[in-house]
Amino acid sequence: MDARDKQSLLASLLYLVTITFVIFKVFGDIQGPTRIGIYWVLLLFTAVNIVSGCFGTNASKRKLYHYQLYDSLEIYLAKLITNFSKVFIAGLVLIVLFRVFSDTGLKDPVLFLKTLVLSTLGLVAGMTFISSLTIYSSNQGSLLSILALPLLIPVLMIGMKVSLVSENMFFDTAVDSNLLMLLGIDIIMLVMGMVFISITWKA
Amino acid sequence: MKNWWKILSVFLMLYTLIAGFLIPLKPGIYDFNPRKITIGESSPIAILINTYNTRLDEANENNVYLKTPADNLLKASRLEVKSSNEVIAHFEIPGLIKDFNTKEESLTLIVDNELDGYSFYPDAINVIIGNTDPLLENEYSSLNEIKEVEKFAFPYRLILYETIRNTFFHVAIWFSMFILLIYSCYHSVRYLITKDLDSDSRSSSLTTVALFFGIAGILTGSMWARYTWGTFWTTDIKLNMSATALLVYFAYWFLRSSISDIDTRARIAAVYNIFAFVCLMILVMVIPRFTDSLHPGNGGNPALGGEDLDNTLRTIFYPAIIGYTLLGLWMAQLQYRYSLIKDRALGY
Repeated sequence: MDARDKQSLLASLLYLVTITFVIFKVFGDIQGPTRIGIYWVLLLFTAVNIVSGCFGTNASKRKLYHYQLYDSLEIYLAKLITNFSKVFIAGLVLIVLFRVFSDTGLKDPVLFLKTLVLSTLGLVAGMTFISSLTIYSSNQGSLLSILALPLLIPVLMIGMKVSLVSENMFFDTAVDSNLLMLLGIDIIMLVMGMVFISITWKA
Repeated sequence: MKNWWKILSVFLMLYTLIAGFLIPLKPGIYDFNPRKITIGESSPIAILINTYNTRLDEANENNVYLKTPADNLLKASRLEVKSSNEVIAHFEIPGLIKDFNTKEESLTLIVDNELDGYSFYPDAINVIIGNTDPLLENEYSSLNEIKEVEKFAFPYRLILYETIRNTFFHVAIWFSMFILLIYSCYHSVRYLITKDLDSDSRSSSLTTVALFFGIAGILTGSMWARYTWGTFWTTDIKLNMSATALLVYFAYWFLRSSISDIDTRARIAAVYNIFAFVCLMILVMVIPRFTDSLHPGNGGNPALGGEDLDNTLRTIFYPAIIGYTLLGLWMAQLQYRYSLIKDRALGY
């Protein structure tokens, strides 16, 4: 359903490439925790960019059509899956970009990818739900970032922490419990989204 | 009487303010000098001790002790009481101190008299063993000699000192903020079930008051941090999480004001309120426990129990929570009525 909008993903990726390029040109070579920090901030903003349009771009007639055709839960899950894959691709592209620009690879790719999957899921689940709230307001884009960013800070913080561990920047024996925690938050976000989507989407 | 709870709230607030500020602190040791002594070289040893809230000059029998790890007390041989809060203690420690495992050990300093009871400073004085005569024995007293005086006063805690009173404001305000938010969530759920706009206005006015309480809690906490941790704002995890929580509720406000249709607004706001509350729980309750924090209850610090909140504090702290909560409900009710009048004036 959303696969038609290929150019929006490409646009987001282009945005990502541009902003990464700018950042590496401005700061020179970035190493250490700053690198991970910038990685997550970039991913977060790209995710906002990708998700913010997901409910709004539908023209009202098309929305009516979807409304008749599908259950709200189906819509939510469909949007979730497309958004997730988009943001995940963006994350992978970002890793490659970092590799290209700063010439240092990941130290523990498996752990990093695990973190990426889990935190992307959390971010996308929260954002997709909140973007379904913002369709009723006049200024969607900015409202999504205002509403979603504070709520998604836990996901981001745990993600950042685990990825720092995966880069050997500090040691933590509780990595597994952190990942489980991330998974727990993801599940909470998903369940809440599924419960409330039927209330918010039908208008 | 219908408005008993408003009167109760005013009464409890007054009680909190008056009792919270007027009840004195228990006596304590504020400062002492020197912090490091070597026995066996310069005997007798004089230690200048500054105490707090004591009546050393009025008491008949003052005593100063050094407590060893195995609870043996070395008593000061002579005391010069300078003022009610200042004393010089002279120790004569001719021989080796019992139960020293190493050559260096930190001893607890204890001051007591029959008026104030005892006060102590744990691991206060670092004692180094110099050239002592192995044949000489010291005299020891036992813990039973220390006088205990029961009185109604707040505990004296190092670093906190008088700021321990902020427990009744900072901590209690946050507690009642949570209660108000829970109540607001309840109204949001009720709105979603009944579609009664009345519940929506109640929920929104409760959230507004809770936000106000949150700001008050941050301000009092910031003042507390200035006097105990040294700065108004630290990078402490719980602070940043609380600030984020406030951002979440500011966002709630923006969300409400950006939707013009009443029913849509009520529905969206209710959903966001519940969503935000769950996230708030994760933010403030769960995450800080995973990292080190200066706040009690996190990173291995004790929370509301044990030494931090003794029975004297409890007698003010729990009424304070009830008082703030009732006050908050009252404020929310006024806000709700105001919104009703405004809606009526707009013709809804």
